[in-house]
Amino acid sequence: MAMIGKLNHHWRVSSRREFFTRAGSGLAGLALGAMVGEAATRRDPLALKPSHHAPKAKSVIWLFMEGGPSHIDLFDPKPKLNEMHGKPMPVSFGRPITAMGTAGNSLMGSPRTWKHYGQSGLWVSDWYPHIAQHVDDLAVIRSCWANGLNHVGSVCQMNTGDILAGRPSLGAWVTYGLGSANRNLPTFVVLMDDKEVLGGPKNWSAGFLPASYQGTQFRQGNEPILHLKSPEGVTRERQRSKLDFLRQLNERYADDKQEDTELEARIESYELAYKMQAEAPEVVDLTRESEATKKLYGLDDPDTAAFGTNCLLARRLVERGVRFVELYCGSGSGWDAHSNIEANHGKWCRVSDKPVAGLLADLKARGLLQDTLVVWGGEFGRTPFNEKGDGRDHNPWGFTTFMAGGGVKGGQTIGATDEIGLRAVERPAHVHDIHASMLHLLGLDHIRLTYMHNGRAERPTIVGGELIHELWS
Amino acid sequence: MQRNLAAAGLFTFAVCSFTLLAGGASESKTSKAFTTQQKRWWAFQPVTQPPVPAVNNRAWVRSDIDAFVLAKLEEKGLKPNAAADKATLLRRASLDLTGLPPSPEDLQDFLNDSSPKPFEKVVDRLLASPHYGERWARHWLDVARYADSEGFKSDETRPNIWRYRDYVIGSLNQDKPYDRFVKEQIAGDELFPGDPAALVATGFNRHFPDESNARNIAQRRQELLNDITDTVGVSMLAMTVGCARCHDHKFDPILHKDYYRLQAFFANTRIEDNLLLTTAERRKEWETRNALWEEKTAAIRDEMNRLIEPKRQAMFQESFEKFPVEIREAVTTDAGKRTPFQWHMYYKVRPQLEYGDSQAAAKLRGAEQKRYNELKTQLAAFDHIKPEPMPIAQGMIDNGTASPKTHVLAVGVYASPQEEVNPGFLSILDPSDAKLAAPAGLDSSGRRSALAKWIADPAHPLTARVMVNRVWHHHFGRGIVGTPNDFGVMGERPSHRELLDWLSAQFIRDGWSLKKLHRRILLSAAWQQSSLYREQAAAVDPDNKLIWRFNRRRLEGETIRDSMLAVSGLLNTKMGGPGVFPPLPEGLVTRGGWKKIEDQPETVRRSVYTFVRRNTRYPMFEAFDMPDTHESCGRRSNTVSSSQALQLMNNEQVLDWARGLAARVSNDQGLTTASKVERAYRFAYSRPPLAEEVDASLRFLDRQSSLAGSPEAAFVDLCHMLLNANEFLYLN
Repeated sequence: MAMIGKLNHHWRVSSRREFFTRAGSGLAGLALGAMVGEAATRRDPLALKPSHHAPKAKSVIWLFMEGGPSHIDLFDPKPKLNEMHGKPMPVSFGRPITAMGTAGNSLMGSPRTWKHYGQSGLWVSDWYPHIAQHVDDLAVIRSCWANGLNHVGSVCQMNTGDILAGRPSLGAWVTYGLGSANRNLPTFVVLMDDKEVLGGPKNWSAGFLPASYQGTQFRQGNEPILHLKSPEGVTRERQRSKLDFLRQLNERYADDKQEDTELEARIESYELAYKMQAEAPEVVDLTRESEATKKLYGLDDPDTAAFGTNCLLARRLVERGVRFVELYCGSGSGWDAHSNIEANHGKWCRVSDKPVAGLLADLKARGLLQDTLVVWGGEFGRTPFNEKGDGRDHNPWGFTTFMAGGGVKGGQTIGATDEIGLRAVERPAHVHDIHASMLHLLGLDHIRLTYMHNGRAERPTIVGGELIHELWS
Repeated sequence: MQRNLAAAGLFTFAVCSFTLLAGGASESKTSKAFTTQQKRWWAFQPVTQPPVPAVNNRAWVRSDIDAFVLAKLEEKGLKPNAAADKATLLRRASLDLTGLPPSPEDLQDFLNDSSPKPFEKVVDRLLASPHYGERWARHWLDVARYADSEGFKSDETRPNIWRYRDYVIGSLNQDKPYDRFVKEQIAGDELFPGDPAALVATGFNRHFPDESNARNIAQRRQELLNDITDTVGVSMLAMTVGCARCHDHKFDPILHKDYYRLQAFFANTRIEDNLLLTTAERRKEWETRNALWEEKTAAIRDEMNRLIEPKRQAMFQESFEKFPVEIREAVTTDAGKRTPFQWHMYYKVRPQLEYGDSQAAAKLRGAEQKRYNELKTQLAAFDHIKPEPMPIAQGMIDNGTASPKTHVLAVGVYASPQEEVNPGFLSILDPSDAKLAAPAGLDSSGRRSALAKWIADPAHPLTARVMVNRVWHHHFGRGIVGTPNDFGVMGERPSHRELLDWLSAQFIRDGWSLKKLHRRILLSAAWQQSSLYREQAAAVDPDNKLIWRFNRRRLEGETIRDSMLAVSGLLNTKMGGPGVFPPLPEGLVTRGGWKKIEDQPETVRRSVYTFVRRNTRYPMFEAFDMPDTHESCGRRSNTVSSSQALQLMNNEQVLDWARGLAARVSNDQGLTTASKVERAYRFAYSRPPLAEEVDASLRFLDRQSSLAGSPEAAFVDLCHMLLNANEFLYLN
């Protein structure tokens, strides 16, 4: 099987043509005529495109716990590890190369208290009491694994499939595959804390896909998008008048160039930008949200206000048709608990617990959860052996991701790690499998979603990716 | 293209099944026999010298290029367009060759020139301009995946890599023969010892993204070798050799083994970031002066070292212990006993173990810290006799004469070596091992020299064709082969195979002169055609592959910015030097740093000098499709997006440039508004406005004056929109 997996990345080359032939223009107002193939993508890269199969989810909200949350202290209890606390790791588990060279250190049990929650009785530790209330909506994948040892490669892989930068982010692939459902807002939005994500914008880059598919970072404050605000002193009326003049210039230029639809698309791009100038500030304006809603997301508490705001923004964005929202919690490796995990995770769990629970509750109450795939996870988990006595090192060999909504069957765990939580042993789910499954829920087949680049029909899962069927069936 | 893809699909399937049946390990053994189809692949055939075809419409033909183009058109019953008007041609040539629009004076000179060949003079003038190198270097920098920083997490600055960018600019301006350009970049250190430019050129293979805190050093080295192999493959051979990293290439006759044979040429290279660029004489002089400084400061420095050495040792030990035992052994093994592979591990891990004085000194506390700072002050008193550091380059050199072994790697995994291979070329072109000779008098393996000579051999079927095609691609907006980085089965077929050969043969005969090639192309009727659209021609050849008209296309982000700076009169034409930091939009942070306040004149230099932070492309360039610098790019995307519109409408700098243009056209007394409008048009579009355009502008200014608060502000708005309009953004 592995061999086939490694060899099949060129099999479906001709399907892309078929895909594009079926892809028409979804954008009213652009007389683009018969658009096929790359020409279509170039003329109107964000035109709506039909999915490969009926989608279960319309949007994704990806809650990215950057730095690597400890699965064995949150969703994956290991009684055996607690028993072996203080002992060296038995050789039978296989000694890995770790980021900090800690594999010879003694095992460290989890001091957390664990409880069964909900109808399904899923385990959650006392670090996530609010999220625990939603377990019946969660599919907890306990057997995730990845290839990177260090943050930057691992964050990059969780976004792009490869630990080496340069490939398109999953959000970019989704934008490329489905097009935009609301042209007045970006299709792929990234939100973060006040620190920068490791590796920065390359994590939401379009890679070798055209630039139109890259993620847009929403900044804090009332100007979420770079260059959104008109220059100082330029009123909306004045801007409109300038644009009217620009339209005149462009239309005169295009007079004897009617065949050139790109010129027309460019005229249209200014109109879209103008509309975005109005709609984007509206989406980040939370003044019309009720106090109850704000409270639900923890906006009334200084610990949770920042991430809660991002979670609330995420809901407002998907409500308006934004397809892919990625929220970093602890951006800049916040969860990276090499020492004193108690303080580190204590803080980040408090920061994320109530907002995430609030988001799930709010989406559900508004009937949005069924169309919105919510994903929670980090770039890797943490080791069962200690680092510096009270911390844990990076663990890409086994960790937890959970999904909810968007067609996901809740109240279940999928896969398992070994007895100490070091490696995924049962039903391992590689990053590519996670990506393939997310795409599947959005109606995209990760094998057929291809783009020709330097002689290869590239796809989001590179040469891998198997669907985690348990998620929806 | 699509037909080819379909054919390729079938072909793939066959290869895949075959490979599966054969099983992984015996893969390379079973696939040695190339099919006749593979051996006959056009790109592997020697470059021929086809006769110039006969055509009917001989009046249109200005050069032999035209005969090749016209013959194809006539075959399909198509006619080419007539030449574009003179103003359009001048603008086209200026933007194409120098990335800057012509000035109104340039245009006047050209229109007034009644000598027999005025356009030839224009082309020669533009090719002689130093701006030519600045413009065309950007194209090669895309191919070379050039950046000023490391990438990965910290994205640290590569402080001297800018010399490579200047090297490319300089090489183009000097019209350095392309074969030499190739040789210098692959093996300049071995082939041209003593030539500083050739040392700088080895930076080509130094442009891989790298991770400063990588823990798995063996894997990291393999990734760098892959990056170098892939880049050399696509950049100089237009072969996607990277597809053969895990298995035989699915489409092209490139064996799994070939990938590692090619890689073996680089197996002994390592990073060297302190390549001295001075002459032996200057170096000696420097050493004498430095020795004096060392002598005078010996006591101070000794004491400083005694203070920080324990700290440095502790830091070393802490880092050292994080590495697996093989790496630690590579460090602790005596230099005389290190294996070649251990040397490479040693060099790769060393930067993570070495701590500078200031890093170690930062660990000092109390009295020690106080004493250290006193000594530092004392030391500074000798700064006046300390010689300035010598200029250095960052590049790639060999680690001595003995190379580590290279193995075929099972599915590309560094830890799964299979059969050992020696340096060798693509088997379909030459199946034997490369003949290697260590260069006399140098501590180097000579491997890269062998590769450089093979690539730059005039008989090589790919090298000249690939470069000629790149040049054609940039002049016409599409290559004769539409995929400049891929001449393989998955790439496009040449639209004019004979022309490509004829040009390639001519290119070699011209001593690989790029300027002669540019000149030949720009003086052709084919290039000088108007972009006029004709429905009947489009019905036959909708993509204009046969070149019945000129391809109108949007300028690159860098050229848009440079053109705006030029017409605003604000462009600083200073050449060369370290990357500069024009302002970033508010709210954008970059890891690795962006100089907060740059000297104003530095902010208005040509875009090619803008610092390239690998993880954060300059927003304006990124929005207009500057490629990701993580891998080679031979053909940029061309997109239209609302973020481009937002940038050009709302960016403060663009507005500054509009103000510049407004001030420039208003700087004469007694101008009527209409004549100001006319001047603005001449600067922005290299033409006077039509009467109706003047009228429309005046109506706008009238309306805008009240909205903007003053006629002056309204005029800035007018200039701003002139710069936003398609006529400004498109090469026509």
